[in-house]
Amino acid sequence: MKKNSFVSKYASVLTAFGGVIILMIIFTIMNKNFISGSNLPKLIRSICPYLLVGIGQGIVCITGNIDLSIGSVLGMSAMISATLICNGVNVILAVIIDLIACLAVGCVNGVLVGKFKLPPFIGTLGTMTICRGLAEIVNGNYNTGDIGNGKLQTGFRDLFYYGKVGPVYFGVIVALIVWFCFNYMMNYTRTGRHIYAIGSNVDAARLSGVNVFKTTTVAYLVSAFCSFMAGLVTMAAAGMGSMQAGLSYEMYGVAAAVIGGISTLGGSGYLIGVIAGASVWAILQNGLTLANVPVAMRNIIIGLIVVACVLIDIMRRSGIKIGGKK
Amino acid sequence: MSEYAVTMEHITKTFPGVKALDDVQLHLRSGEVMALLGENGAGKSTLMKILSGVYTRDSGDITVFGKKIEGDLNTKQAQDLGIAIIHQELNMCQHLTVANNMFLGRELVKNGRLDTKEMNRQAVEQLAKLGIHDLDPDAKVGDLTVGRQQMVEIAKALLINAKILVMDEPSSALSNAEITEMFRIVRELRAMGTAIVYISHRLQELHHIVDAVTIMRDGKYITEGRFEDFTMEQIIANMVGREITNQFPRDKVEKGKEILEVRHLNAGRMVRDVSFEVYEGEVLGFSGLVGAGRTETMRAVFGADAKDSGEIVLDGKTLVIKSPEDAIRQGIVLAPEDRKREGLCTKLSIRNNIALPNLDIICKGGFLGTINRKVEDDMVEKGKNSLTIKMAGPEIEAGSLSGGNQQKVVVAKWLARQSRVIIFDEPTRGIDVAAKVEIYEIINELKKEGVGVVIVSSEMPEVMGISDRILVMCNGRVTGEVDPRNTTEEEIMTYATQFGDNAE
Repeated sequence: MKKNSFVSKYASVLTAFGGVIILMIIFTIMNKNFISGSNLPKLIRSICPYLLVGIGQGIVCITGNIDLSIGSVLGMSAMISATLICNGVNVILAVIIDLIACLAVGCVNGVLVGKFKLPPFIGTLGTMTICRGLAEIVNGNYNTGDIGNGKLQTGFRDLFYYGKVGPVYFGVIVALIVWFCFNYMMNYTRTGRHIYAIGSNVDAARLSGVNVFKTTTVAYLVSAFCSFMAGLVTMAAAGMGSMQAGLSYEMYGVAAAVIGGISTLGGSGYLIGVIAGASVWAILQNGLTLANVPVAMRNIIIGLIVVACVLIDIMRRSGIKIGGKK
Repeated sequence: MSEYAVTMEHITKTFPGVKALDDVQLHLRSGEVMALLGENGAGKSTLMKILSGVYTRDSGDITVFGKKIEGDLNTKQAQDLGIAIIHQELNMCQHLTVANNMFLGRELVKNGRLDTKEMNRQAVEQLAKLGIHDLDPDAKVGDLTVGRQQMVEIAKALLINAKILVMDEPSSALSNAEITEMFRIVRELRAMGTAIVYISHRLQELHHIVDAVTIMRDGKYITEGRFEDFTMEQIIANMVGREITNQFPRDKVEKGKEILEVRHLNAGRMVRDVSFEVYEGEVLGFSGLVGAGRTETMRAVFGADAKDSGEIVLDGKTLVIKSPEDAIRQGIVLAPEDRKREGLCTKLSIRNNIALPNLDIICKGGFLGTINRKVEDDMVEKGKNSLTIKMAGPEIEAGSLSGGNQQKVVVAKWLARQSRVIIFDEPTRGIDVAAKVEIYEIINELKKEGVGVVIVSSEMPEVMGISDRILVMCNGRVTGEVDPRNTTEEEIMTYATQFGDNAE
């Protein structure tokens, strides 16, 4: 009984992790290098940006909204931090300024959607465009140069991307810490409960004393924070700020969340699923590259797999619904 | 061949883990209104869904107009046989017109274009058959009252030539005038020879239209017969399986000091200069027609809707209430009218629903608002026990419970905190008799504890049975105050229909 309820509660999550394992097996058969000591740690590291944006988008999805500004905030984060560092600002200070800028965007999203009730698709479409513009404008419409090799700069690169503890890259640890914090928030705190509640039924939540505006804003702030972190990872990896950084990442976030079993309609899903969802995404990218599949083909295959994943999940869910109805 | 329009024999239906129907039978004649009665979860809806092809039966025989149905019945076949259902929640496209809705899926086409003119003409014709002459086929359905929407749905059923009409709780959302109108239409249909299955929890209204009854309990057939052969007590006893001697147990409690005072409250068009007081040890009932402004008044007090002016005084202190959050923290709570839309987060677990408004208590002293699992468990357990919520476990989705149990969850979440005033808006709508009695007992319990209880109810016997004092509203104003011990339904109805400003 207890076991059964566990399985049914986490069915989508378990399916997603099943998918991860199946993909791992397929790609290993296709190419022995896939789980080799040189590829595997890099593969796991490549999950990080997807995981970060997936956490943010996942939480916003659980509130029943969507955040289209994620990719642009990621780009903004990369560009602001890189530009500041290139202009001689202390790395730590640059990151703090960057953080404030990104959180401000989260705040604006929260106010637009939570206070003024703009449809989230429209509201965040606006901030998405604005932030991409800001990302382009900070360095006068140019990508930045290399952030240099000072002590702090090197530390920054190591912390977010290149450094290693044993076989594990630091970036992975950073992403997992972020995941742990927000997973804790979602499962064990009042704020998390409120986020699920407004996603399930915003009227009932409000009549139960939930501050909808505050809760919506928290979700968008988390999303902005995750995009900020993903921006730092991207910037550390490239060693420079690219105006194109994070293009389409809001959709990768949706994919990671949805493959992991979070419903875009709100109220259901678990952050643990995002780990699987982001992994599926990264494994497909990495595995298909190793298998020498051309980029265009890669995109088609990944698109098909995402649709298939969600379709299977919906079919499974509706099956349960019909069976469980009185 | 057969004298019956529909016979269903030995119908059995099992869902995983539940035997929803067990050897159930039903006999329905043309030109007859049959009440299908039973508590929530008795299997009435399941049986009707089998008849209309939504569910397939595991075993049993269905005969429609003498023709035995072989194999599974699907919704299309059921429609072709002339079976139509009017659901409790109306299935209308709110943005489409009356005629569009009536012809939905069967649009008339001429030369590859929609023949709007002909559709409108036929829509008017169908509505006229029901004696409705003042409904514009071009009106948007969303702009009509619920009663009117229901008429459109009935007209739509006639359009597909329905010979067998199932009405699931049709009166639950209607005002008295609308119910009268609906009854007139049901009689009209009966006269045309339509066979009608009428599902309702409002037992008091049955005598207006019902010819026969079939009673079910726990997925089983209990009895059937002519309506006039049953007394109300017998019907209730058959539904619940025991005699409920006291349907409205009102306990006598000494009236204490004033708890809540609402002074000159104005909020929009539906709340105009409303003032009332609530005392310790009394249940204050609000009666009136649907749309009299009672719900709006309660929502304004609770902070769910904005107030234009007015004062709310609790225990001598004037409160500032700008949101439900403010009201809850200061001791005023509201169990809303529409539990699916406003009362419950149906996708969340029962545990989460009960805990939701009480997270301030549950998280007290926790690191960054961490939930104290033990406090929460105790709270859920207490709620479950005080209301005997039937459930597989607190982790299951609240939406999967039956209506009565859902309502108990809504009540349970408010009992968990020490509130000064609890407002119940239509607390027993659409729930079965046994669950109703449990809610009445809770209300009495609260009264004894000195909590101020306000109850809004459109069921006259209920509000007269449970309240210690009744305020009657009409058109956004309080039009009368009566003592339920020595008043009549007629007196309340007189106040409830005092429209216009001459009330003063």
